[in-house]
Amino acid sequence: MNAPDRYERFVVPEGTKKVSFEKDTKIMNAASFTIEREDHTIGNILRMQLHRDPNVLFAGYKLPHPLQYKIIVRIHTASQSSPTQAYTQAINDLDKELENLKQAFEDEKTRFERMKQGY
Amino acid sequence: MERPAAGASYQRFPRVRIRELRDEYAKFELRDTDASMANALRRVMIAEVPTVAIDLVEIESNSSVLTDEFIAHRLGLIPLTSSAAMSAMRFSRDCDACDGDGSCEYCSIEFHLAARATDSGQTLEVTAMDLRSTDPKVCPVDQADAAGDSRGILIVKLRCGQELRLRAIARKGIGKDHAKWSPAATVTFMYEPDICINEELMETLTLEEKQSWVESSPTKVFDIDPVTQQVTVVDPEAYTYDDEVIKKAEAMGKPGLVEINAKEDSFVFTVETTGAITAYELIMNAITVLRQKLDAIRLQDDDGDLGELDAHLVGG
Repeated sequence: MNAPDRYERFVVPEGTKKVSFEKDTKIMNAASFTIEREDHTIGNILRMQLHRDPNVLFAGYKLPHPLQYKIIVRIHTASQSSPTQAYTQAINDLDKELENLKQAFEDEKTRFERMKQGY
Repeated sequence: MERPAAGASYQRFPRVRIRELRDEYAKFELRDTDASMANALRRVMIAEVPTVAIDLVEIESNSSVLTDEFIAHRLGLIPLTSSAAMSAMRFSRDCDACDGDGSCEYCSIEFHLAARATDSGQTLEVTAMDLRSTDPKVCPVDQADAAGDSRGILIVKLRCGQELRLRAIARKGIGKDHAKWSPAATVTFMYEPDICINEELMETLTLEEKQSWVESSPTKVFDIDPVTQQVTVVDPEAYTYDDEVIKKAEAMGKPGLVEINAKEDSFVFTVETTGAITAYELIMNAITVLRQKLDAIRLQDDDGDLGELDAHLVGG
């Protein structure tokens, strides 16, 4: 009767921001990003991509509770960079990687089908 | 420590090699990326690639032995051809062209089913073949199958005199909402193993010892060359990371006989679909969905005074 709608798990409620950002008050170049309605799928690739950036001193994510459909990504960078910059760069790099992967798949399918036909 | 300037790219360039590709099955190698990307793709394929499934059932008459909700649930699980789901269709919660009554061309497809058993001699099997779609693009996968040797998925059996009549509405959805919308039957990936035999130590073994060591593996990973009597790796991917051969080597007093490591950047994927979309479509759609998700989590310009904040943070 009072069960929440199933789509609440992945639809951002009206009036809520998908990404919000809070700067750490005590540490320079440290911030937490709260991403609404996301889970390990995004959290883990983002974290691993941030680890590739040598300016990132710390990057981690947590899913605070299985019934709170959000993740918190914490980023701490060196003074050359900033958390927002590292965050944006990580997303750009992942997006380009996937664009590349898509092209690689299309090319590979063409190659595979040609090979099967015995060219 | 010397650190590069901010803004440098750390993008990877993954490589792909398809091993097998059929309509509902794909096996491929994915290299030069990490487990997080492989797992994200797997998760998206299972839970976030959209398909079409029956979501709303209006029963007009049901005198079968199964309850209305039981039948409604079974109808929901029937895979429907869903090539249109990715871009042509809308989620009915996002659709502003209708009020969700099923007559909307953008977000729903209506189905009808009417069956009545009249033959007193035998039970009538009502299957997915009896579902009548109003849209030729969306129908149960068995009906779309060109070979046409399938009898269809059984919904209910009717005894003489029993009847089932209903109207059903199929909608677009994702596996995260309900598993009936998942296009994936199985999606798995394994790390490619790197098997390294210590040849020098192996030569200290007699043929019988080699034989018993090779047989200690529960899967056929190793074999003995009949000519040279050397142990060779015949199928590295058959290795299930069970450590049996390593334990066996230790038990034989030959630790370090073989070294097996998982290659951290090479994966072998197996993708099987329900037939709602092809395996290739599933992979491509998963990549598209993941890119859309990444795009949605970009910082917006109105997220505080980011420019100013960045300048402050860099300066500090």
